Amino acid sequence: MQNDISQTTIRIAQILINELKLDDVTPETFDPDLDLVDEVGVDSMDLATVALVLRDEYGIRIDEDDYPKLTTVRIIAEYITNKLRSDD
Amino acid sequence: MNSSVTGKKEYKFSEIIADPVIKERFEKVRKYFFLRESTYDMTHRCNVRCEGCYYFAGEKQFAEENLDENSWQTLLEAEKERGITFVVLAGAEPSLVPQLCEVCYRTIPLGAIATNGLIHIPLHIDYKIHISVWGNDQTSLEIRKAKDMLARQIVNYQDDPRAIFVYTFTPVNIDQAREVTALLAQNGHKITFNMFSAPEGYQGHLRHDPDTLARTRQTMTELLLQYPETVVYSHYNIVAHTDPKGLHALYSCSYPRRNPLSDIGLGRSFRQYRTDLQWDREAACCVPDTDCDDCRHYAAGSAVVTARMYRHASDPESFKAWLDYVDTYLAVWVKDYTKGQNLCDRFIAPPSAEA
Ligand code: SF4
Repeated sequence: MQNDISQTTIRIAQILINELKLDDVTPETFDPDLDLVDEVGVDSMDLATVALVLRDEYGIRIDEDDYPKLTTVRIIAEYITNKLRSDD
Repeated sequence: MNSSVTGKKEYKFSEIIADPVIKERFEKVRKYFFLRESTYDMTHRCNVRCEGCYYFAGEKQFAEENLDENSWQTLLEAEKERGITFVVLAGAEPSLVPQLCEVCYRTIPLGAIATNGLIHIPLHIDYKIHISVWGNDQTSLEIRKAKDMLARQIVNYQDDPRAIFVYTFTPVNIDQAREVTALLAQNGHKITFNMFSAPEGYQGHLRHDPDTLARTRQTMTELLLQYPETVVYSHYNIVAHTDPKGLHALYSCSYPRRNPLSDIGLGRSFRQYRTDLQWDREAACCVPDTDCDDCRHYAAGSAVVTARMYRHASDPESFKAWLDYVDTYLAVWVKDYTKGQNLCDRFIAPPSAEA
């Protein structure tokens, strides 16, 4: 499971980098514990876009009310992993 | 809800966005996702007094006026520091304090001013100017106690690229929208639509009912089709603002007054400052003291509908409708933003939170 989360973390970082055009960082070097709002500058519209890409990729729905909980890449990865597990 | 229950095809976002027309419009509007608004009451004075004006409902009209330019400068600098990129200067009448509007403009140069249009706001304050219209001049005289309002507004803002007229539909002026739009079209102006939204406790004759909402919907649709160069609106704007349910019931309002979340989005960034430069989270929205159940205000919709992108990304038509809404909102609020052609020319039902 640890490995799944780290792969998911990298994939989410990649999606964020693509969607937000964060040219100066790679998925492998993106700090998964950076606060997305305060340190990366992500806001709800960015997060909605990322949530749609994640919906496509993982087939899960991200509740709008959950956006504020999704504060770091690592937390998003855990959220997705938990959702996938609960859908099993 | 999944497709086996609804019988509707489930679209991936990548499928929706694969349409080049949708993709282009999405890329166009998403460049403006950086906008973070707050609003400011500039003065508690006004040179007209309109029945049903939300500024003169509730407590905010009693806040002391701060006319000190340095205090405003300090506030706006702090706002910029906080990440605010767009200001809305409003109630009561900002044109009475142009020196304060100028301080705001120098510090945060993107924004809009809501005015009754009777006093011209100097050109160098290069914000979008929203000129409120409540009917023809006969109705304005009755409701706003001001003579020849539209005629004076038209002259004051002739050939001014900042100006857009905002026609507020009330139950008593629905048909007059035709003559007002024709006159504005003749004079080369732009018009967008607002809905009268009752202040809390207001039970007067301007409150809409299902019949006036339906008649407004029909009139807006006619005008949108008849004056595509003049009317800045879309079918989805009509849907969102003339539904018997208000914006909060349809979309869940994202302003702090109705939204307890303070970590992200408007719940985090939005403040509504009064003339004493104070704000109150419990009252903070763009139209404070409006009855949320009756809220169909254009300013509220700009944020509330836009925030619900995720819900509209269920199928291409819903997403096009949402894009039209956002494109309209940007054209109304952001100077130099040019509205594209509407992508969806039929009525799409607002999506539920489950979409
Ligand atoms: S009045 Fe409108 S914008 Fe303000 S909190 Fe209520 S629903 Fe939201």
